[in-house]
Amino acid sequence: MIKPEFDPVALATPFFILTIILEIVLARFRKADARYEAKDTAVSLAMGLGSSVAGVITAGVVFAATIWVYEHRLFTIPMTAIWAWVLIFLLEDLTYYWFHRLSHERRFWWVAHVNHHSSQHYNLSTALRQTWTGGVAGTWALWLPLAFFGFPPAMIAIQKGISLVYQYWIHTEAIRRMPRWFEAIFNTPSHHRVHHARNPVYLDRNYAGILIVWDRLFGTFQAELDAEPCRYGLVKNLGTFNILRVAFHEWIATFQDVVRHPRYALGYIFGPPGWSHDGSRETSAMIKARALSPAGAAGSDRSPAGPRESHA
Amino acid sequence: MNDEFFIQLAFSAAAVGALIALAAWAKIAKPVAPLDEYKARAMLAEEFPGRTVEAVWIASDGCGALAKSGALALVICRVGDGFAARQIPWGQAVSATFKNGRLSVNLGDIAAPTAVISLPSWPPQDLAA
Repeated sequence: MIKPEFDPVALATPFFILTIILEIVLARFRKADARYEAKDTAVSLAMGLGSSVAGVITAGVVFAATIWVYEHRLFTIPMTAIWAWVLIFLLEDLTYYWFHRLSHERRFWWVAHVNHHSSQHYNLSTALRQTWTGGVAGTWALWLPLAFFGFPPAMIAIQKGISLVYQYWIHTEAIRRMPRWFEAIFNTPSHHRVHHARNPVYLDRNYAGILIVWDRLFGTFQAELDAEPCRYGLVKNLGTFNILRVAFHEWIATFQDVVRHPRYALGYIFGPPGWSHDGSRETSAMIKARALSPAGAAGSDRSPAGPRESHA
Repeated sequence: MNDEFFIQLAFSAAAVGALIALAAWAKIAKPVAPLDEYKARAMLAEEFPGRTVEAVWIASDGCGALAKSGALALVICRVGDGFAARQIPWGQAVSATFKNGRLSVNLGDIAAPTAVISLPSWPPQDLAA
């Protein structure tokens, strides 16, 4: 009940490796649509490896907090009941949606999540490009209400792992569209390509983990448009493959902003990515509004690639 | 962190190395043609919508471009098989280090510290001010 009997992510690791090999080999022989650049792949995989180390370092705190909350739970939910697994599947996926949305819409959490979006590629290695600082950003706290409700910590950990493994396979251009009924209910490669794209129309859309229905429900869904091919990466793409800069650039940028403008510290920390006290930068909402307005891009004095914003 | 963790980490690191080697062997990066003026202007329009480009200098190897837009310099530089773009004050671009046909532009951004652009000469005499 406390510790999971199995870890879906650890079990899936050989599958991750084999499918990346498969995607590369199929692309090499032009049997699949995939692009890999060696340095980009190296950064993505190194971020994934580092993330697993960072996760171990912060796991103790997360585990202790979850146990403490579970000890003060409202109900006791049995791990053996099917209804309990159905319920946690839905509630965990809903939690993931809001975690993910928060990670894009507030800079304090974006600083940790930006790493996952900083590749200009979209392939299976991109799925493993994970943050090193998620534990520090504290987004794991969003899952504590599940323990308070009465789901055993092991059950929460397993369901989080299942969600992570599900989200791996959707990071590919090799699969164009799934059957219509599947696209309507589940997150798919097509939906998630939109999420990773930097085209204005695609910014801040499709936050779903497993079920795309949350985006449809909360008004953040955007279908992939044939007329608008996805361009991947950040609004301001990285100009380096230095792994330390990749891992920490947005933390450092936020710190610099706070030091330079202490009066506006809260805005720079908790405002949306791209927020600035003098309006000299653009948030995703501003970029979308400008791009979608009848006047289009004309007449903007703001910085579309301003000093800091890097939202995808 | 026990022995099992470190063994798993070692195997994962070996797998990462093998996958990087495989990606390098496959040569399936995005095809990137060198920038010419037309492509550079199209990219500048995409990266800096609304900005009027007064003059543009294309890197001799096609791996970057620098444009003047009012008091700003718009910089595009190749990163792997993609590009990064930043804007900096024009004066900063003019005073950038130029040595052996390479202009090193300090972009003042932790995420994109420097752009190196191969040019025949720098700064342009008529626009240096």
